[in-house]
Amino acid sequence: MMNKTWLLVKIILKMQYSKAGANHSQIWLLVPIILFSIPFLYLYITITNATVSALYQTLQSVGQESVILGLLFIGLHTILFIMSLVTILNAFFFTEDIKSFIPFPFQPYQLILGKSANPFIYLYITSGFLFIPWFYAYGNVSEAPIHYYLQGVPIFLLVPMVPFTLAAIILMVAMRFINISKNKDRSKVITGILTLAFIIFINVIVRLNTDSQAMLQRLTYLLKEKDGLLIKITNYYPPAFLQTKALTDASTWEGFIYFLMTVVLAVGCFMLFLWIGQRFYIKGMLGSGGVGRKLTLPKKKSAKNVKKQAVWLSYIKTELRIIFRTPTFLMQCVIQSLFGPVFLLIIFIMDSGTQGLATLMNNFSEKQSILVLFLASVVLIGSNATAISSVSRDGKNWFVQFYFPLSMKQILLYKISTAWIINLITITLLLIVGIGLLQLPLTYSLIWLLLMLVANWFTSMLGTYLDFIQPKLNWTDEQEVFKSRLIGLTAICITFGIFGALVLILWNTSILSFILTVFSLLLGLIIAIITIGILFRLKLRQTNSL
Amino acid sequence: MIEITNVQKGFPGNSRAIEDLSLTIPDGKIVGFLGPNGAGKSTTIKMMTGILPIDKGSITLNGIPIDKNSIEAKKTFGYVPDQPDMFLRLKGIEYLNFIGDIYNVPQTIRQERIDTLTKQFQIHTSLQDYIQTYSHGMRQKIIVTGVLLHDPSIWILDEPLTGLDPKSAYTLKDMMRQHADKGNTVFFSSHGLEVVEQLCDMVAIINKGKLLFYGDMKQLHEEYQTDQSLEAVFLELTNDE
Ligand SMILES: Nc1ncnc2c1ncn2[C@@H]1O[C@H](COP(=O)(O)OP(=O)(O)OP(=O)(O)O)[C@@H](O)[C@H]1O
Ligand SMILES: [Mg+2]
Repeated sequence: MMNKTWLLVKIILKMQYSKAGANHSQIWLLVPIILFSIPFLYLYITITNATVSALYQTLQSVGQESVILGLLFIGLHTILFIMSLVTILNAFFFTEDIKSFIPFPFQPYQLILGKSANPFIYLYITSGFLFIPWFYAYGNVSEAPIHYYLQGVPIFLLVPMVPFTLAAIILMVAMRFINISKNKDRSKVITGILTLAFIIFINVIVRLNTDSQAMLQRLTYLLKEKDGLLIKITNYYPPAFLQTKALTDASTWEGFIYFLMTVVLAVGCFMLFLWIGQRFYIKGMLGSGGVGRKLTLPKKKSAKNVKKQAVWLSYIKTELRIIFRTPTFLMQCVIQSLFGPVFLLIIFIMDSGTQGLATLMNNFSEKQSILVLFLASVVLIGSNATAISSVSRDGKNWFVQFYFPLSMKQILLYKISTAWIINLITITLLLIVGIGLLQLPLTYSLIWLLLMLVANWFTSMLGTYLDFIQPKLNWTDEQEVFKSRLIGLTAICITFGIFGALVLILWNTSILSFILTVFSLLLGLIIAIITIGILFRLKLRQTNSL
Repeated sequence: MIEITNVQKGFPGNSRAIEDLSLTIPDGKIVGFLGPNGAGKSTTIKMMTGILPIDKGSITLNGIPIDKNSIEAKKTFGYVPDQPDMFLRLKGIEYLNFIGDIYNVPQTIRQERIDTLTKQFQIHTSLQDYIQTYSHGMRQKIIVTGVLLHDPSIWILDEPLTGLDPKSAYTLKDMMRQHADKGNTVFFSSHGLEVVEQLCDMVAIINKGKLLFYGDMKQLHEEYQTDQSLEAVFLELTNDE
């Protein structure tokens, strides 16, 4: 049984990371990213070391140093849990490659293990990035015994298990019951939205519980007890407590027992996950219907349904329909981009109330604040996934376009417009928040809106251009359009690079008045748009000559 | 032996894709499954293979119910789907090895079968390529090879001949015949009436989810005036007007 499972894991990973139809020139994109990240990594490790040793100096004198690792584990578990929710949703439910395995004699739990491999890789990378420096820094500053490191390695391996299994169980059970609606596409979207709502909810809960006033009052009391702080922060979540104790008391018997408990807990959770998966997964996954949906046209209406439309309108409508009807596209292009602003807003309101932005604005001049707002919103819009998937979304059907009596230029224009329209949703939302909640002055908001409408055209063009030069067309599952591609990151880096520089320059040229600053931004945008226009033209000429 | 008993299946928007279907496919026979587009052939086959859940009724393969004891049932059959666009990111040989591993095909047998089958189908030179780069017919062939590789007693083939060149189609038909003659079960859907007429021992004809006829050629001819061709019977049976 075990080697069948292993076989499945291997084949699923092979399919995911297969080079079939891959474009090798994507690799050059990695070079700047790696170069970029080396100084950042160095900085990160230095800061971690400094933070940990500073915390240690202060806390050790009151016997509360264990809270340092407690914080690490609590943070780690929260982040891994949220990551698990998203990756599991994608891997278990949105990706349908599992369908090809169903006619084969595999147990559901084997399929689940196979599907878990990739999410676990992500989890270990994230967890390694956060855990290793912090763990090492603590070991260093506390002059930890060898046991600390000996138990640290297995604990590192066990850390993702609990959050992962919790997330998986919640989703599998939810999916099983939401599926009662019989419509698979719809239940996917519902689960997706619920998951995002749940993440926001967790955030709110965490924030409500970290009321700093009350904390201070109890602090004196907590400080008297050994590990009082640790117990306080891991109050509702024993796994973090066990893992912390296993490390801080590594050299004692007690520590070893905590370590064993950690192991038992993680393994137990995992077994529970497999058991629940065995019972719920396939049913929740298959639903009762298939993927397709049947559109029944009422007979009388059919005259109305046959209507001539301008090409551009019809094309853009079709693009929008495809986005809204494909759960994966809907999630990635629309719902996740709404999630960003909503999430920010909630953190914002919870942390500082609405005065926050007002205070912020008071500290800055009008000119500075429009620069900050501009940059923030451009990056937000630039991170939308619609533009960067313009061409790739078509997949194998992309070539069908070549039979249409349309020029490539037209097609690209329609696709850019589609991305632009989708982004209007985000812009509208931000506008409502700005005027309604934060009470930004009207003229100010209108200026922002104007800038955004133009900037939106830029980001849409940029994304489409990047996707056009290196589209991913050979996908069998919609997820692949968004997964393991550097294109999104590239788009944000370029946008941030250009406009970050522009904003920096304008910020420091004090002679420019507010209105001139706005004009400069517009000018910058227009130049950027023209540049991409030229790039498009070059690329088109090149492909025509082929 | 496949037994389909009172099976029903609905989809959102089409609550009666399959209506009360009962069909027994005996050992040692090739059974052809006919019907117009959208009749419910693929749906039936997908329920037989466990891809789609059964709403009502039961299906057993060699006596094992597919919904209750799915793992055991799945070991008894090989399935060629109507759309062979699967595992595109594997190389041909990787796919075959994967299948061999799933069904515990011993190394030597595996080697030998892969050799002969891929040579017969003339895809042995493409085994190192990604299935992505295969043509429709080649994808079909690699999947058929996968099925033959583990030598199941029941073959379930959804339009296996579509897209195959004449020589490969001949090879496959020949293999089907041999397999059935050894006392095994072959069930396949098709739109090629001549093929069905020449190859099948029995035919099942469905339309709109209902079984219209099931029996051998002789019965067919008895039921519908002796000298009518299968084509004429098919057109008459499935005539909606
Ligand atoms: N996933 C699905 N969702 C909704 N309806 C479906 C789905 N799959 C099939 N159907 C419907 O079930 C009916 C039977 O479809 P099926 O694919 O079984 O036809 P078929 O006989 O294989 O046709 P063909 O000869 O075209 O392959 C059709 O009316 C089809 O619309
Ligand atoms: Mg079919």
